[in-house]
Amino acid sequence: MLVSWEWLTQYVDIDLSPDDMANRFALSGLNHESTTKVGPDFVIDLEVTSNRGDCLGHIGVAREASVLLSTALRIPTPIVSPASVDSAQTSSLIKLSNRFETGCPRYTGKVIRGVKVAPSPAWMQRRLTAIGVKPVNNVVDATNYVMFECGQPLHAFDLSKIRGSEIIVRPAEAKEKFIAIDHRTYELDPSMVVIADAERAIALGGVMGGEDSEVSETTVDLLIEAADFTPLAIRRAARKLRLHSPASYRFERRVNPEGLLWAAERCCQLIVEMAGGKVTLGFVDSAPQSKTQMPEVILRKQRIIDVLGIEIPWKRSLDILTALGCTIVSKSDDKATMVAPPYRLDLPREIDLIEEVARMNGYEKIPEDAMVPVFVSARRDKDVMLQRVRSVATAAGYDEALTASVVNKQASSLISPWTALPPLMTQVQLLEGATFLRRSIVPSLIQAYQNNQSQQNRDACLFETAMVYLPSADSKGLPTQQNTLAWVGTGSSRDSKGMIDEIIHRVAHGQAVTTEEDFTDPSIADNTGVRVLCDGRMLAWYGNVSRSVRSTLKLDQDLTFGELNLDLLQEFLLTIPRLKPIVPYPAIQRDLNFILDESVRWGSLSQVVHKSAGELLTDCIYRETYRDAKKDGEGKKRVLLSLILQSTTQTLTGQQADDVVAKVLQATKESFDATIVA
Amino acid sequence: MGIFVLDRLEAYPTLLFVMSLAEFTSSLDSLLAAAEKSLGLVADEAGLEELRVLYTGAKNGQLKSIQKGMSGLSSDERPAAGKKFNEVRDAVQAAIDAAAARISGGGVDGASPKASGTKKLGPQVDPTLPGVRPRLGRLHPITQTIEDLKEIMGRLGFSATEGPEIEDTWHNFVALNIPEDHPARDPLDNFYLATAGKNASDPSALDAKLLRSQTSTVQIRAMESQQPPLRIISLGRVYRPDEADATHFPMFHQMEGLWIDTSVSMAQLKSVLRMFATSYLGGDVTIRFRPSFFPFTEPSVEVDYFWNDQWIEFGGAGMVDPNVLKAVGYDPEEVSGFAFGLGVERLCMRRYGITDIRDLFRSDVRFLRQF
Repeated sequence: MLVSWEWLTQYVDIDLSPDDMANRFALSGLNHESTTKVGPDFVIDLEVTSNRGDCLGHIGVAREASVLLSTALRIPTPIVSPASVDSAQTSSLIKLSNRFETGCPRYTGKVIRGVKVAPSPAWMQRRLTAIGVKPVNNVVDATNYVMFECGQPLHAFDLSKIRGSEIIVRPAEAKEKFIAIDHRTYELDPSMVVIADAERAIALGGVMGGEDSEVSETTVDLLIEAADFTPLAIRRAARKLRLHSPASYRFERRVNPEGLLWAAERCCQLIVEMAGGKVTLGFVDSAPQSKTQMPEVILRKQRIIDVLGIEIPWKRSLDILTALGCTIVSKSDDKATMVAPPYRLDLPREIDLIEEVARMNGYEKIPEDAMVPVFVSARRDKDVMLQRVRSVATAAGYDEALTASVVNKQASSLISPWTALPPLMTQVQLLEGATFLRRSIVPSLIQAYQNNQSQQNRDACLFETAMVYLPSADSKGLPTQQNTLAWVGTGSSRDSKGMIDEIIHRVAHGQAVTTEEDFTDPSIADNTGVRVLCDGRMLAWYGNVSRSVRSTLKLDQDLTFGELNLDLLQEFLLTIPRLKPIVPYPAIQRDLNFILDESVRWGSLSQVVHKSAGELLTDCIYRETYRDAKKDGEGKKRVLLSLILQSTTQTLTGQQADDVVAKVLQATKESFDATIVA
Repeated sequence: MGIFVLDRLEAYPTLLFVMSLAEFTSSLDSLLAAAEKSLGLVADEAGLEELRVLYTGAKNGQLKSIQKGMSGLSSDERPAAGKKFNEVRDAVQAAIDAAAARISGGGVDGASPKASGTKKLGPQVDPTLPGVRPRLGRLHPITQTIEDLKEIMGRLGFSATEGPEIEDTWHNFVALNIPEDHPARDPLDNFYLATAGKNASDPSALDAKLLRSQTSTVQIRAMESQQPPLRIISLGRVYRPDEADATHFPMFHQMEGLWIDTSVSMAQLKSVLRMFATSYLGGDVTIRFRPSFFPFTEPSVEVDYFWNDQWIEFGGAGMVDPNVLKAVGYDPEEVSGFAFGLGVERLCMRRYGITDIRDLFRSDVRFLRQF
């Protein structure tokens, strides 16, 4: 809201500089954006919150100043001199019917006959120009002036263009065409309010007038409209048609329902002063009996103290509220029954009145050293887990990235390890083409790798913890939103697996028992994809990027990636691990060099070794795989591993170790026809 | 480990297996004898290195191999074996040192044998070479900021909570005193989910879902499930359809605080925020309230703090609106509370001198590795 200092001071005496006053406004609810000097005048830009439609006119702002400065507010009285009164009743010249009361609770009009349209006088042009409104003529300027004076938008029709001398307020017809003052054609829908005459729409109610009926230099007779339109109807129309006007802005924030007639009369007063003509008697009024019932509110002195934490003199509280326009129905030493004025529809409750007292009394009076009792807070399991997860990822050389939760089609369709259902979508895009809620974070990180690659940042290794969104088969309730760790990095799937193992170990300390199964996907290179299961649920997956994805995305090297379900992992969190006693007896290491078929995987080999070795085996360490086709023949490989054997109760003898080795050799012979290098 | 090592293991398979103490001692003796003999004869550095690796190589030197046999000895044999092993190891090392001194021209006593004193220049260690830095990843500056905020608020008694990012209209709007006709619910100002069948779901429908536009949703969920007193902060991603530019991004992070108790005042709100700002900025900070408007608080204020001789916008705050307390089943006559919220990105950008919010989401490692 642009406020002209010269205009403002018509209504209130201010003995502060414009800057000081702007500062007072800022600290009492009208945020100060800027002050500009326009000729001899100052224009102050104030931000008005959406609950304060009353401050979208100079009088409302002046009322704030008058309360802040404890000075009088001067509101003009709209009186038309007897010479300018037309003896005809307004209702004899124009017929009014309202067929859309939910969109327009009240519509009023008054007629002025015999005006001479001309440029408005210099003082009015100056004030309008100062606040950025282009002067048009003395009639249009008067409607604009009154709007910026009291906040009530008005519209002037050329009475002679209203066919059938009839105004009909109605919903627009579907696809009804309307040419506005801006000479553009708009297509309407039935949620919009149309002001029509006997034949066609002549204005889009509350938003913009029509080209057909606008006031021109030849206009002689006028219909002045002052109406109240429903905020939602206006907002939808303005938004849909991209037709935002100062009028729609004000209706969206509600106008004073009791201020229609004042505004119309004030406008007529200015028009006859500037353009001559005579004003008809009375109004056409769609709801002449309407009276805004403001609720009675009980304000308790103690409640003010409780909410604000300070005591404000009771009289001062009541003075502030009466100065703002509230009336006191009854009062005692500790409570008062009050009614807010109709231009303050935002004050229906006690707490609203307390806010008015607080802001006008000044928030600087509220201390910042009040007692705050001690309260215990606890770290959540999730934070404990996340800290461990992040420390592993960063120690592994991965930098943390944050990428958008909503992705484009290509990223969404790259891989979906957690669900086979199609992704959820947003109606509005987040970034270019991004309407797909991601089912995996990996595509975003691959994209991030690509971005780094194009910037010549070699070897970017990135991780992220975020939600993935997994639609449920039925649409009831919220979809599953799974906390997930994802990573993309250089290296091989063994790096991914190692990170998963270390994270599981750091978080669960051996409490999570996992199994593995193959995971094939077009984005994952053959024989590199694995799902890690825990309790029958997928805890993690990993793999290397497939050749096709690598070439499609022009990746400069092989990447490994994977994800881990943090919600599931958290179920196995051991916040405080218990010490396992350190065994005082030495361990014996036995190295075994197996000759195996190529098809035998470490997963199954180590499983058989563990099972056959029994409880003396504390670790089975993979050392190396190599091939010697000359000695072993094609299709064979050698896998070297070390058994670490230890007893918790005694020093193992060589014979005991030999027995374990013999069992392992027998079991691996049976399971894989494995032999040992002689 | 390479092929070479494996061959060696195959060549000395007996070393892997258990031996007696006598066998252990005698194998050490014969090793020492062989070592002293060959080291006495070696004539150049290359030969010496070969022998050094053969006898004392850390991975597969012969000493190492014999040492492995020790594990098969019984515990009462082991001290003697250990003592013997150490003696032989030291003797082998002494023979190596003596051979090295002889080859490099020094006498056994270290004195230079040549009058000229010209010392042979071999490879030397340069301790001023750059260190080998471990390549540690970095946490995102937003994460670091959030962890700071959580830690400070934790000390003030506020526990961190989280909630779903896809929300229903009850938690995102209705319970927060944002009625159906409120502009904040406009379909173009929110990320409503498209529902099967019809693309444009009705935002007024109770089962309409959207990406949350504020983390206050988490506070509603906390109040619905717990009774006062309650001191929590909610943290996380929120979504609003803003065109991305240097200061806007359609996804960002919020931290919101909530304190509900039998009697909580605005003075306590101001005091908590001052303590928070003082702790975060590390100096004594003054707080300023400016009146504002939010549907879920009344009174509502914008909060500024005075730092480096200027007022800096901190975020929004206020006393929890009685309608919100009613919506979660509390009695506004019995309990009251305050809430505040701030944008994490703004704090983070100011703290680290980041001027374009989009940099936070570009994942450029030249950016990420600076924090």
